[in-house]
Amino acid sequence: MSETILETDLGPARAFAARGWREWSGNGLVSGAIMRAKAAAWLLIVPAIALPVWIIGNERGWLAEQILPRPADVLHTLNEMLASGELAQHAGISLLRVLLGFAVGAGAGLVLGAAMGLSRRVDDHVRPLFTAIAQVPALAWIPLAMLLLGIGETLKIVVIAKAAFVPVAMNTSAGIANVPRALVEVGETFRFTPLQMLRHVVLPGAVPPIFTGLRYGLTHAWIALVSVELLASSEGLGYLLVWGRQMFWLDTVLVAMLVIGVIGFVSDWLLAGVEARLQRWRTDGV
Amino acid sequence: MSIAVDHADRVAETTDSRGRLEVRGVSKTFTVNGAPIAALNDVSLTVAPGEFVALLGPSGCGKSTLLRLIAGLDRDYTGRIVQDGNAVTGTSLERGIVFQEPRLFPWATVRQNIALGLKNAPISEAGKREAVAAHIALVGLDGFAEAYPHQLSGGMAQRAAIARGLVNRPRLLLLDEPFGALDALTRARLQTELQRIWAHEKITMILVTHDVDEAVFLGDRVVVLAPRPGRISRIFDVAAARPRARSDDALIRLRNEVLRTLEHDGADDGKAGQSNRSGA
Repeated sequence: MSETILETDLGPARAFAARGWREWSGNGLVSGAIMRAKAAAWLLIVPAIALPVWIIGNERGWLAEQILPRPADVLHTLNEMLASGELAQHAGISLLRVLLGFAVGAGAGLVLGAAMGLSRRVDDHVRPLFTAIAQVPALAWIPLAMLLLGIGETLKIVVIAKAAFVPVAMNTSAGIANVPRALVEVGETFRFTPLQMLRHVVLPGAVPPIFTGLRYGLTHAWIALVSVELLASSEGLGYLLVWGRQMFWLDTVLVAMLVIGVIGFVSDWLLAGVEARLQRWRTDGV
Repeated sequence: MSIAVDHADRVAETTDSRGRLEVRGVSKTFTVNGAPIAALNDVSLTVAPGEFVALLGPSGCGKSTLLRLIAGLDRDYTGRIVQDGNAVTGTSLERGIVFQEPRLFPWATVRQNIALGLKNAPISEAGKREAVAAHIALVGLDGFAEAYPHQLSGGMAQRAAIARGLVNRPRLLLLDEPFGALDALTRARLQTELQRIWAHEKITMILVTHDVDEAVFLGDRVVVLAPRPGRISRIFDVAAARPRARSDDALIRLRNEVLRTLEHDGADDGKAGQSNRSGA
C-alpha cells in the first residue's frame, strides 16, 4: 500500500473523467457520442480479452474450478447474493464505514492542508510530524490502534480516516501554497480581505490539486477498509473476501472484488463530476 | 456613457488636482545570494495630476521595481512615495495597475474578473454592475463579457486587464509593460486605444516600457532610467500635440534623441559591468 502520493500527472485521466461526466450529463453532441463510443471501446479492450481467456481456460481445465470458478458461476453467486440481500448488507456496511472514515479523514486533511498551505509557521511546525505519520502506512497503524481502540467500529473509522487524511492534507497544502503569486498580488491591489483572498483567489486556484487529493484519499480509504475488515470484522466486503477464501468459495471472493471495484469506480466518477462542475471554465465553449 | 457623467461629478467634488505623485529619494536594495544589489538609487520624480509619464530603460534598470513600489506591492525601500498628500503604505483602490501578463483569474469570466476589482469599492451593487458594463465598453470588449480568459486573444485579455485596472476609477493608473508580450500590430492598436482612454478618463498614468516608440508616442514626459544602480539618467518633454500620429517628424526626431541617450547609457553600463567583474 503506497502512501506517498502527491499530485502526479493525472492530467489525461482527469480530462477523460471530466469529459465523460459532461457527456453523460447530456452536453454531448454527435461528436460527443463518437468520442464516448471510442472511450467505451478502449475501456472494454481488457475485459474483451480477459473474459474469453477466462471461459476457454475453464473449459480446457487450465486451472481447477476451486481456484478459478467459471464466469457463469460467479454470475450465479452474484444473483443469489443480490436476491438474498446478503450482498447489499455487506456492501452497505462497508460503504458506511468508508463514507464515515473518508468524511472524518478528508475533513481533517482539508483543514490541516489549508492551514499548512496558508501559513508558513503552521507548515514549519507541523510538517515534520505530519510527514513522519504519513510515511507509516495505515495498515501499520492497525496493531497499535487495535490495542488502544479495540476491534470495534472506532478502529475501522480511525484507520480509514488516517488513510484518507494523508493524501488530502498533502495535496491541499501543496495546491494552496502553489497558487501563483501573480494572482495573489492582483487580489492585494483590490485590497482583498484574507477571506476574500481565500474565496476568490486561493480556493479556485487550488481546486485541481485538492480534488486530486480527495480522489486519492477515497481510493486509499477503500484500500484501508479492505485491510481493516480482513483483520477485524465479521461483516463487510473485506470480511466476505477473507471468509470466501477460507471456505474456498472463490466465486464469493470474485463477487466481493467486483463490487469493491464497481463502488470505487462510481465514487471516483462522482468526485470527478463535482470537480468538473467546479472547473467548468476549463471546458466551456472549447 | 453614464460612467463619464458619474466620473465628472466625482472629479468635481474632489477637485481636479488629484492624481499627483511624488517620489522622493527612493532607494531599493535586493539581496541576491547574500549579496546586496542596488536596484534603485536615490530616485526622485514628481508626476502632475493627469500627466502621462513613460518610464523607459533597458531591462534591469529598476523601472518595474519602481512601479511596484508606487503600487504599494513592495514596501521594503527607503525614501518617500506620496500620492495626493498620503504616503503610500500599501496597495490602494486609488491606484490601478496593469501587469505585463494580463493576470486575469482563469476561472472567472471577463465580467467577473472586472467585477472582482470592485469587491471593496464603496458603491452600490447596481453601481458596480453599471461600472463593469461601462468599462467593458470602454476597452471595446462588448460581446465578450461572458468569455473566459483562455478564450481571449492576448490583446483582448490585456484590454480586459486594463478595464479591471480602471474600474475603481483610480486617480493613478500604473502600467507595467502592458503591451510587451503582444504582436506589433496589436501593440500599436492598443497604444492608440490607451491614448484615447487616457484622454477620456483624464487620470494620471505611469507606463513602464522598454519600447522607445511607445514611450515617445504616449508620454507627456519620457523618463529614461539607467541600470546598476537604477537611477534617472534623463527626462525628455514630449511637446507634440494630441492625438498624436506616429509619423510626426517631431516625434521621430525625439525618438532618435532618446535612442542615443539609451545607447550612451548602455555604453556606460558596459564599462561599469566590466569593472564590476574585474573587481569581483
